[in-house]
Amino acid sequence: MNTSTWVTVARYHLVDGISLTILPWAILAFDFGITMAVTDAVGPVKHPQAQSGAVFAIYVAFLVMGALSVFRSLPFGLAVGASRRAYYAGTTLLAVALAAVDGLALAVLQVIERATDGWGVTLHFFRLPYLLNGPWYLTWLTSFVLLALVFVYGMWFGLVYRRWNLIGLLAFGAAQIIVLVSGAAIATAAHAWPAVGHFFSTLSVTGLTGLLAALAAVLLAGGLTTIRRVTV
Amino acid sequence: MTPTILVGGLTRRYRGQLALDDVTFDVQGASVTGLLGRNGAGKTTLLRIIAGHEFASAGRVAVLGASPVKDEEVLRRMVFIREDQTYPDLKVRHVLRVASWFYPNWSQELAGALVDDFALPLNRRIKKLSRGMRSAVGIVIGLASRAEVTLFDEPYAGLDAVARQVFYDRLVAEQAEHPRTVLLSTHLIDEAAGLLDRVVVIDRGRVVLDAPAGDLRDRITAEQLTLQQLVVRAAAGAGAATPERTAA
Repeated sequence: MNTSTWVTVARYHLVDGISLTILPWAILAFDFGITMAVTDAVGPVKHPQAQSGAVFAIYVAFLVMGALSVFRSLPFGLAVGASRRAYYAGTTLLAVALAAVDGLALAVLQVIERATDGWGVTLHFFRLPYLLNGPWYLTWLTSFVLLALVFVYGMWFGLVYRRWNLIGLLAFGAAQIIVLVSGAAIATAAHAWPAVGHFFSTLSVTGLTGLLAALAAVLLAGGLTTIRRVTV
Repeated sequence: MTPTILVGGLTRRYRGQLALDDVTFDVQGASVTGLLGRNGAGKTTLLRIIAGHEFASAGRVAVLGASPVKDEEVLRRMVFIREDQTYPDLKVRHVLRVASWFYPNWSQELAGALVDDFALPLNRRIKKLSRGMRSAVGIVIGLASRAEVTLFDEPYAGLDAVARQVFYDRLVAEQAEHPRTVLLSTHLIDEAAGLLDRVVVIDRGRVVLDAPAGDLRDRITAEQLTLQQLVVRAAAGAGAATPERTAA
């Protein structure tokens, strides 16, 4: 294990300085501009909890970034002497750092949004009911975990594609659908939906964040298992 | 003495098709070894396994005494330049900068000289480069990294004769000043013949000739052949049970 190689891999991803740092925010800024223009056109939002959900664009951007960080950059990373494990660790390190910084930025923007009464038009762009609507530090924590989770999930998709091509990717997606449908079928057969509903309705945001962190750890382990036999 | 590269009984199958069949050879110390053979002979597969990019079905590979798949330290002392190298969507200068971070012996001076030699546009994105220019980027990385083990797989695809000569001249100069173990896979057998200290010929996944280049030169002179003719002759006799071998 050589952590300096991890840092080098993380720097490698950031070398052009645009795709991973500026692009997600450019997308979100565009998204925000459109939402503001629409809000301005239809007049101030009356509903106290009106929100667009458009902030999820940055999470989608992280998912895509995670996939591309493996699919596009892995072959050259290995060519210049990074091991698969170091590459994965370095890319994960980057994901964690980006999620921490961008999560903090989202929390700050939420504070500003709250202070300006929704940018003057009662818009809830950076506030989402339940999930991202608490104190700034909780928003930071939840955003951080969620951003890291989707990045890692994207990485796993990219690795599956690199290892097993399109057929593998389709099988991977299908397997996840089968798991979800099986879970739903089991819950139905066991008449467990009320218990499931009760669990989630009583779950605090902190508890949900913990669950998401556990899921991220599972996805991370899945990606690590996949990269071990990836060929380039 | 531990060989720099040791390949023993290496076999690689792809869905029942044999790409490498019990390949065995070793490379000792600083030298340039030519890995020669026809298209589909197994040269690229062999280099990919030596670099740890591909996995063997059976057999053993050790680089600097360790497995390139398991030992991260070995990977940091090795560079692999491929004909079909996939680059990220970066500018040339970014690609070279990244490579410089990975190699402790990286020579910025040499990289700069090679960039000038090949007239590489540093601010152009790799995907906008011609095939020859992309090959030149690989050559810059391969030589400027000054890695102890340097693997070149058809490194000059698309390069013109002048640019190829630049590569040969630079490689010879580098070997004189900073000796390293170079394994060079090429089709341009006669053109590269003067560079080689050793020749390993692969055909249909098997080593059919493994000999010091000096011995082959004597044979070439005696039999009035070119190295290419000798390689073709070795490949034609590939049905023989044992490869042609001479003492190193």
